[in-house]
Amino acid sequence: MNQILLNGLVLGVYYALIALSVSVIYTPTRFFHFAHGAVFTSAAYCCLACRSALGLPFWLAALLGVAAAGLLGMGLEFGVYRQLRKSRSNALVMLLASLGLYVVLQNAISLTFGDDTKSLSGQEVAEGIQFLGGKITPIQLWILFGSAASIVLVLALFKFTGFGKTMRAVASDSNLARIQGIKVDSVILAAFALGSVLVGLAAVLHAGDVGVTPTMGLNAMIGGAVAMILGGVGNHFGAVVGGILLGFAQQLVAWEFGNQWQDTTVFLILIVFLVLRPQGLFGTVFKKAAA
Amino acid sequence: MEYLLHIFIIVAIYTILAVSLDLLCGQSGFLSLAQAAFYALGAYTSALLAVRYCISFPAGVLAGMTVAVLISFVVSLPSLRLQDDYFIIATFGFQMILFSVFNNWLELTRGPMGIPGIPQPVIFSWHITSHLDFLILAAAFACFAYFVVYRLTSSPFGRVLHAIREDEVFAKAHGKNTLRFKVTAFAVSAALAASAGSLYASYITYIDPTSFTVMESILIISMVIIGGAGSLWGPLIGAFVLVTLPEALRFVGLPDAIAANVRQIIYGSLLVIMMMFRPRGLVGKYGFNK
Repeated sequence: MNQILLNGLVLGVYYALIALSVSVIYTPTRFFHFAHGAVFTSAAYCCLACRSALGLPFWLAALLGVAAAGLLGMGLEFGVYRQLRKSRSNALVMLLASLGLYVVLQNAISLTFGDDTKSLSGQEVAEGIQFLGGKITPIQLWILFGSAASIVLVLALFKFTGFGKTMRAVASDSNLARIQGIKVDSVILAAFALGSVLVGLAAVLHAGDVGVTPTMGLNAMIGGAVAMILGGVGNHFGAVVGGILLGFAQQLVAWEFGNQWQDTTVFLILIVFLVLRPQGLFGTVFKKAAA
Repeated sequence: MEYLLHIFIIVAIYTILAVSLDLLCGQSGFLSLAQAAFYALGAYTSALLAVRYCISFPAGVLAGMTVAVLISFVVSLPSLRLQDDYFIIATFGFQMILFSVFNNWLELTRGPMGIPGIPQPVIFSWHITSHLDFLILAAAFACFAYFVVYRLTSSPFGRVLHAIREDEVFAKAHGKNTLRFKVTAFAVSAALAASAGSLYASYITYIDPTSFTVMESILIISMVIIGGAGSLWGPLIGAFVLVTLPEALRFVGLPDAIAANVRQIIYGSLLVIMMMFRPRGLVGKYGFNK
């Protein structure tokens, strides 16, 4: 049982990191950036390429992967989303474009690297370390502490710095923020950079743990989006809590019914929440059709 | 010649899917990512009935449509209360759940092993075996779907759907029970998609879950959007373009191994380009930019 809770915690922190990254981008832009999933995959594959082609050590390859994710995220915002916002596209058009981007990027990756699962660690399977009454591998320890540290850092950034304040201003009302002299486009670009770096970090850590496949990003992105909705849209802390709960829920279901029902759990939880509590645990914004 | 007929059969099947989705996203303004799930429901229902119980093709199609309608209520009653992008996420969720069920419920669907040996359709005494026969059948199905959607959208029912698309609160203020209209449209759309599924299963004679992934849903959405949502010609053109364009790649000597990826890259980039430069699609009237 301890082992299951520990696995749940590792998975939960991983989801929390992705949920935070989704939330950082969603709150100022208000559309679901599906290509975020492809950013995730790209980071993992960039890390893989650096490892296998250049023979770099894992930490350096991971760093490059994270940097690539940040650049890709900014590129997408700069090249596509900004143009769409200029022509006053609404959230649905943006979402469709991001679906298209996702499809293109994922297929470009499977063309380049092939469809099979590739392992990234390259070393023999590390022996588990005793930790909190369960066994955990070194990379999982990294996931746990690396993600937790970045989450705390980012939450603090939003809470205490001027940069965080402008981010929150744009998220709550971008027109009002513009009137106050905030450069909304730059803030959104920064949000894309930050969100993509976070999801890149989650990606390389995850890749180090279980390897890479071209379709890994979609599940990650959707898990993050579900966690964000669970926690309450517009509330970064809520997204983190949602992610952790989702991780535990998945592990418990996997233990009870088997691994293959993990994805189903995610979506059942999502639908229950959308129906019963669309504002999420900590959210205040309703996104229901006017009743 | 056989090859050409094959392409047209596939175009006809996708036309059904695109036209049925247009009823939902073009006419009522609700984008659904679950169309491939209903497509799968139709395919699996009629295939299982035919393989296990020797049920005839017409009965199998009806059964598939019935199952799709019943499941569509389960999907639509909760999720159609949600707005735009939340609705998409919810339908995405149902798509993933249904895929997971098809993939993991081994006793019923044999999971990834798929269902082989689906009999070719026999309608009364008409044994459909040649490509030409099949094209006639598929075209008849496509015409039926087209006719249903055309009749619905040019009726008072369709006008309420348009009103919902333009302004749901306004439609409500006029005393329309908008949820009922949306649920009905969703059910009709699901039933038509299911008929395409039965057709596909009996044409290919083998189905497995990989034909019904979320990527398939995105492809169907792309057909509607690229062709032009809200106009009945749009989905037809979209289906034709997105099926034939990748086939053209065969003639420039692209190996099959990468053709699937290239095909998806093409429709993905088309989707992005359309959104940037012509969000209402090739012949559409409605651009999702309310």
